[in-house]
Amino acid sequence: MLSVEHLTKTYPNGTTALKDVSFTVQDGEFLVVIGLSGSGKSTLLRCINRLIEPTHGRVLLDGVDVTAARGRELRHLRRHIGMVFQHFNLVRRSSVLTNVLSGRLGYSGTLKSLLGLWTREDRERARHALDRMGLANKAARRADSLSGGQQQRVGIARTLMQEPRIILADEPVASLDPVLSHSILRYLEQLNKEGITVLCSLHFLDLVHRYATRVIALKDGVKVFEGLPGEIDRAKFQEIYGEEAQEVRATSVPTAATGTPISVPVQPPASPA
Amino acid sequence: MIAGLLSLILPGLGQAWAGRRYRGAVVFGAVLLAALVTYWYGVPAWRLAPAAIWLWNVWDAASLARGQERSAFVPVAAMLVMAYGIGWQVTQIDLASLTRNSGRAESILGPMLHPDFAVRREKTNTAWAPVEVPCGPHPPAATNTKDGATVTVAPDCGRLRDTLAVKATGLWPNTPTLVQWATPIGNRLALGAGFAAPLTVASGPDGTLEARIQIPPNALAAAPDPDLPLEHRVYLTQARAEPGFRLSENGRYVVEGIGQTLFLALMATTFGAIGAMLIAFPAARNLMSANWLTRSVYFVTRMVLNIVRSIEALIIAIVFVVIVGLGPFAGVIAITLHTIASLGKLYSEAIEGIDQGPLEAVRAAGGNWLQMVRYAVLPQIVPAFASFTLFRWDINVRTSTIIGFVGGGGIGFFLYQWIIKGDFRAVGSSFVAIALIVIVLDFVSARLRTRLV
Ligand SMILES: Nc1ncnc2c1ncn2[C@@H]1O[C@H](COP(=O)(O)OP(=O)(O)OP(=O)(O)O)[C@@H](O)[C@H]1O
Ligand SMILES: [Mg+2]
Repeated sequence: MLSVEHLTKTYPNGTTALKDVSFTVQDGEFLVVIGLSGSGKSTLLRCINRLIEPTHGRVLLDGVDVTAARGRELRHLRRHIGMVFQHFNLVRRSSVLTNVLSGRLGYSGTLKSLLGLWTREDRERARHALDRMGLANKAARRADSLSGGQQQRVGIARTLMQEPRIILADEPVASLDPVLSHSILRYLEQLNKEGITVLCSLHFLDLVHRYATRVIALKDGVKVFEGLPGEIDRAKFQEIYGEEAQEVRATSVPTAATGTPISVPVQPPASPA
Repeated sequence: MIAGLLSLILPGLGQAWAGRRYRGAVVFGAVLLAALVTYWYGVPAWRLAPAAIWLWNVWDAASLARGQERSAFVPVAAMLVMAYGIGWQVTQIDLASLTRNSGRAESILGPMLHPDFAVRREKTNTAWAPVEVPCGPHPPAATNTKDGATVTVAPDCGRLRDTLAVKATGLWPNTPTLVQWATPIGNRLALGAGFAAPLTVASGPDGTLEARIQIPPNALAAAPDPDLPLEHRVYLTQARAEPGFRLSENGRYVVEGIGQTLFLALMATTFGAIGAMLIAFPAARNLMSANWLTRSVYFVTRMVLNIVRSIEALIIAIVFVVIVGLGPFAGVIAITLHTIASLGKLYSEAIEGIDQGPLEAVRAAGGNWLQMVRYAVLPQIVPAFASFTLFRWDINVRTSTIIGFVGGGGIGFFLYQWIIKGDFRAVGSSFVAIALIVIVLDFVSARLRTRLV
């Protein structure tokens, strides 16, 4: 169980990106974070694994205070928290296999990893992870020779090397076209069904309806909604995205046949003059 | 009006009074600079420049007070005219001198166009006989046979200026033969007119030679005791041209100097690159922004790099020549230091320019700082590092060709001495050699670099 308590982040330049945000995520949930661009989604996810240092508040993973951990203790906690990035964050010049193996760095000894000496077990694990992502034959390729969807799958394979209990996914499909979005999210959904908790920020509401088990919404760093995807009606939608939000039917996006309304990519409201 | 008056008293004051403090400060600075420069170089005509700016400044201040801004054409033009005028004078530009000394140019360029690098191969044949000077009680026979050539001198001994008869058989036939006197310590003395010119005698068609010589008056100049009988020698030397060329003596020095230069550049580039790699990481802002401690490490290393980089390798070499002595080692240290500073800056900028994403990914996976550098930073920077290093190697070869001028070893060391000695044929051959290696390295390093990117 992950609980976030009164999380606040003020950047050195004075921007307060998160204001007193609290929520809990039960094991096995697929929690989606929505909100406009700049509402603090990335800041929230990065505060959870302390890539960004929160200003106030606590993050507890199964009762262990992540925010209080230092040095080695923090690195060991991070091993349980996988992360998937919008821009994949692969080393473009390195091979797919090396990129995947780098997900194991939290477990391997410093000296051995500096020399590039990976155990047979680690290599096995990497091949297995690539296999699960349908990339078994791409291990030796340079990462930047793969398509965007394949690169994101490499990113997920890298995360799997951590044997994570929870995966933080920061707009994992925002750099991909809608069809690929579903393919990536289905991989995450599969992992979720196998018991990994997923915390994912998304821009497209139809994806939220299709994959989320629960939703929280941020607006200007404040949590303005927490509930089931079905509870986001027109009024809630306007509250989250502002009065001027426009709805555009995204007909190209396949939707689940659940009867939930086809929903929309959101155009951010025009910035106030 | 008031503004104009104020500016008449103190340039820039009027502008400041009209609310344009910055403009005022610039105007004041310009007048002050122009006045100081013209005062220092002391040519009265140039005082027109500060005067013109002063006048313009009064006009400008008056206009500004009326809300009108004057173009800065007049002061800028005055400054430029002054700068180029004084510059011409200070750098002593004298175009006529280019043609005035054509004789001198010829005496330098002539030999330089005949570089002393190789000479025709030749074969020599030497033979000698001992002569005792002065005569002892039992002088040994003045005859000796070597490689089939026999030289006999009569009488067997003598005093200074005595006349001796030299006979030889078994020499190369019909060949000019140099006849020389050799003292016991090996000094070769000429036996021609006035004991200053060489004495050359042709051998006969049967390989025999006859000559009359006088014992040189200075044959005992270095003797510890002029009454002690010692063995001197008469040397016969024949030379014959052979096909092909060999390195001349200076040619050998050129080769040695070039070799030293290349190795000097290689060592300095290698040591410099290693040093730069170590220092580049603490000098990269993106790796050092974690807290105030690492940030101050960043600032200090950056500052040191900037200071060292601003000192020419040639000047660093002067210091190290004093510390470690003349020779290539001083050059290696100087160029290494300069390389660390300049490569360190380039490396750290390459590090700052990398994609931050992979760094984030390694940290998120629980990796530590070293692992982050190894797996997220290094793969991104290796090509850029290699390319910068090759480029630096190229520059270092150029620097090490001249570092010898201050005693830092390499071809420059020889070049400097040849210039002082006035041996312009050797100067010419080192110019050719330097140009050749610089062109070749330029080409090679450019080729390698395009492959890397
Ligand atoms: N390093 C930073 N320094 C200062 N301000 C920042 C920094 N990173 C983000 N911010 C600000 O914090 C706020 C929240 O940013 P954040 O990136 O968390 O939003 P987001 O919801 O992820 O947006 P997006 O959908 O565009 O990714 C924004 O106003 C942003 O400008
Ligand atoms: Mg974001």
